[in-house]
Amino acid sequence: MHLADGIVPVGMALAGYGASAGLTALSLSRINRLPDPGAGLPRAAMLVTVFFAASLIAIPVPPASVHLVLAGLMGVCLGWYAMPAILVGLFLQAVMFGHGGLTTLGLNGLIFGLPALAAFALWARIGGRWPDLAAAFAGGGTVLLALALFAGTVLLGLPASVDPAAERLALMALVTAHLPLVLAEGVIVLVLLRVLRRVEPRLLAHA
Amino acid sequence: MIRPCSLLLALALPASALAHGAELTATPVQAISLEARYDTGEPMAGAQVQAFAPDDPQTPIALGQTDAQGQFLFVPDPAPGRWTVQVRAAGHGAITYFEQGANALRVTVERTQNWGQRALMVALVAWGALGTVLFLRRNKRG
Repeated sequence: MHLADGIVPVGMALAGYGASAGLTALSLSRINRLPDPGAGLPRAAMLVTVFFAASLIAIPVPPASVHLVLAGLMGVCLGWYAMPAILVGLFLQAVMFGHGGLTTLGLNGLIFGLPALAAFALWARIGGRWPDLAAAFAGGGTVLLALALFAGTVLLGLPASVDPAAERLALMALVTAHLPLVLAEGVIVLVLLRVLRRVEPRLLAHA
Repeated sequence: MIRPCSLLLALALPASALAHGAELTATPVQAISLEARYDTGEPMAGAQVQAFAPDDPQTPIALGQTDAQGQFLFVPDPAPGRWTVQVRAAGHGAITYFEQGANALRVTVERTQNWGQRALMVALVAWGALGTVLFLRRNKRG
């Protein structure tokens, strides 16, 4: 679900960079306001590694295969650190595996970063009262949100030479293949957060 | 009774419509065969193939769609220079190049990684990320 190079027009890719930079600046200013801004760095580094490696784990959903997104987990565990962490993870995925392009790094940052921050907002709001519900929604909901952002970006940047009907059909197939992942990530984040709450509650941004 | 003008019209019909012979010319040409796969190994079926000419890399030229095996065969335009071919489906895609010379065709094939190389990269990134942060924390404490 990473936007490759050459898929959207240059103007859109530049706008993506601009919006991603704005969101990162906002995140960094919020991190700076924390009592110890460096305290969350080891946790962020650990989750960048998990996020980076997760895109290599392909889960077969016949006839295609999908990979874990884990933006929800990043949001809940990292809070405002999620956006810079996701950008670092996406950059490494692009240079090392060719997952997503370098020109589309800004757009991919938004596709994964916005759902991660939404998951963080959800966790901060209802995580204390209904932690299981918040975790499941943060896990599954972020996949749905990322899918919607991805499909919207592709359709918005469709060049005239591409057959729109065929591309819509391909996008529908992609979204359908990812629907089991919505459930799977909901369960994964639910179980992980249950374990973390019991074993190491300090790993959560707002427990 | 046939009126003169109708007779004239009948005589003016194109000769090909009345011909019974046919001609067929077969000329061997150089073609490019593409095979598009996701890095998981599945074929990119029904993906759209477009080309960008050497003199106009901004305007894509639609070529067609890959088959169920992700394959596509086309005869390249004879215009010399570096052509770009893109295969895209649902926001995913790959780009390859071929050089159309005076009398030769050269195709650039991109290198792919195996699982060992990927595992090594994951290990290096993990080491780099955690190592950098722990180093910074240690310096701060010291």
